[in-house]
Amino acid sequence: MTLYKRYVSPVSPAVYPHLTLLLLSIGVFFTAWFFVYEVTGTKYTRNLKKELTISFVAALFTGFGLLFLLLWVGIYV
Amino acid sequence: MILLHLFLVAITVSTTFSIEVNPKIFINNAECLVDLSTQLVKGECRLSLENNDDKPVNSVLYAFEPSIKSHVSFISAHQVFESNRLSLNVKPVILSGHEDKQFYQIDFNASRPLRSKGRAPLVVEYVLINALYPHPEEITQKDRQLMMFYGNAYLYSPYKSLKSSVKFQTGTRRIEDYTNINPVSLSSGDIIYGPFGSLEPFAYTQISLHYDNNTPFLKVTKLTRTIELSHWGNVAVTEVIDLVHHGAKLKGSFSRYDYQRETNSGISSVKSFKMYLPASATSVYYRDVIGNISTSNQRTLLDSVELDIRPRFPLFGGWKTHYTIGYNVPAYEYLYNSGEDYFLKMRLVDHLYDNMIIEDVTVRIILPEGSVDLDLKTTHPIIRLPDSLHYTYLDTIGRPTIQLQMSNVVESHISDFELKYKFPKVFMFHEPLIVIIAIYILFLTVIIWVRLDFSIAKDGQSETRQRISGIISAIIHHFERRASVYNSWDETLNKLKHSKDVSAYNTASKQIQADYKNESTSINELATKLKTESSELSDKLNEVQKAEKNLKELFGQTQSLYIDKLITGKVGRNQFVDLDSGLKRKKDECLEKINQLLKSLN
Repeated sequence: MTLYKRYVSPVSPAVYPHLTLLLLSIGVFFTAWFFVYEVTGTKYTRNLKKELTISFVAALFTGFGLLFLLLWVGIYV
Repeated sequence: MILLHLFLVAITVSTTFSIEVNPKIFINNAECLVDLSTQLVKGECRLSLENNDDKPVNSVLYAFEPSIKSHVSFISAHQVFESNRLSLNVKPVILSGHEDKQFYQIDFNASRPLRSKGRAPLVVEYVLINALYPHPEEITQKDRQLMMFYGNAYLYSPYKSLKSSVKFQTGTRRIEDYTNINPVSLSSGDIIYGPFGSLEPFAYTQISLHYDNNTPFLKVTKLTRTIELSHWGNVAVTEVIDLVHHGAKLKGSFSRYDYQRETNSGISSVKSFKMYLPASATSVYYRDVIGNISTSNQRTLLDSVELDIRPRFPLFGGWKTHYTIGYNVPAYEYLYNSGEDYFLKMRLVDHLYDNMIIEDVTVRIILPEGSVDLDLKTTHPIIRLPDSLHYTYLDTIGRPTIQLQMSNVVESHISDFELKYKFPKVFMFHEPLIVIIAIYILFLTVIIWVRLDFSIAKDGQSETRQRISGIISAIIHHFERRASVYNSWDETLNKLKHSKDVSAYNTASKQIQADYKNESTSINELATKLKTESSELSDKLNEVQKAEKNLKELFGQTQSLYIDKLITGKVGRNQFVDLDSGLKRKKDECLEKINQLLKSLN
């Protein structure tokens, strides 16, 4: 029992709103870039590597952003 | 203060080894106080035990009458030595030949047994539930509620007692009737039987007390308490409660008018009650099947959060209500860890209202997904149902859920449980990973979708147009890169002008030339492609190429001006400045021309 310490969550619940807004805005930016890129290009101009990179960054930020949004609104996953 | 938590109460579990009543133990003096003023019967017996045996005794027995047996909810025992309270271990036992009665064995502390020819004080506390009967069973709205209690005038004990008395506290002066046994006395609501002289073991004379009791007769028939733990720093507690007023049933109709006007109307009904939540409780909600019940108040006190619960209607005898209470508490208050070993310490059942009775309790403890090796410890005996899995947001393999049941719980049962489990830290990334993968799959679908061609007829013209614009954008891209090659060339030339270091320039120049060559070959390749598609655009591109060739020549001239003339000193200062600025102007003009031509390509 003496070995046990009070558990502290990896991210303080106090910063959930800030993290949500920051990560989601970055995520939305990359998502928008991705879709604009997809819509404006033709099959002769698209670059698969670029598409995959932008979409991965977008997914990464939007994913974490959504997670913190859930935590912020009280859905403790 | 020495406080050993050695309470052990069991109604359901009973040990079956052979125990006998020691006839050489007797009770020197006993004073029992039975509190009947609420819906619970709370007894406290102060016994002075004497051991006439030749050897010390390690445990004594406490008995309940056959009529009371089924009402016992909680029992505890303690001793007081020099104002230190020492809790004792109590466990239910069965005595052969006395199967109709309920016995509890009270174990003395190993260092303080009841010595031979010695005396020891002992305090036994117990709580009986459902031991008060409304009499009459039905009352109208304006009637007062009367309760009947059937008990024993004497101390019920397996041992002989020398002197004893039992005091019943009714908390009211309105006592209708009580059984008369000599000696009995009544003083301001307290009925005292005794003091009696020598009494045989299991002395029993039934008495009945009929008195006014308008305290809340609320009983929870079913409580489902869900504790959901999240390693993101939260413990969510939800309690679903089925409540019933088990006092005298309401006879006739309910008049809201009388209820509001007359203070004596519906005196036995329950308008509101208080619930105490942990001090750190936040986002508290109180709702039923219809929705939020707004008639509740929350006050944050120093050591708790007080919730004033007011159901949608006052509760009269026989009326029921069903509601849900939920709140969040921060995990750091209850959760401890050491590496990947976790330790949760929380109340198994918490306060619902004062003097509560809960008939059936189901507790569900939901742990984070991926928790293993669950090890639960409770102070009171419980029935543990098989573990199950709970699925909620972002779950794949399900959250391990412990389910347990208890029955006939009162406030004295409120105690902490201890739950140990292991949780691999990588599972923290499980939830974000699911979201990321889901979004990424969406993007991949889009990537695949735009590559699919659903057109019925092939449109050759637009196809060509797209192909050309593809080639053009690629060409422009390469031109931009070549422009940046020119920029860096310009920079190195500038450096050369100031440092006059030819060898450094040559090495830098090598890289620039290589880059230049790369871009040029790409452009030339694309140019040949473009030629097959559109001769018009190809001509335009040729113009650009020409201008570009011009630009390269100008750069060549600048280079030779610097290396051959400036550094060797073949040219005068003024003349050099003139030549240099002239070249610079020409270069700028050329760049401008290239840019304009490129624009016209689109």
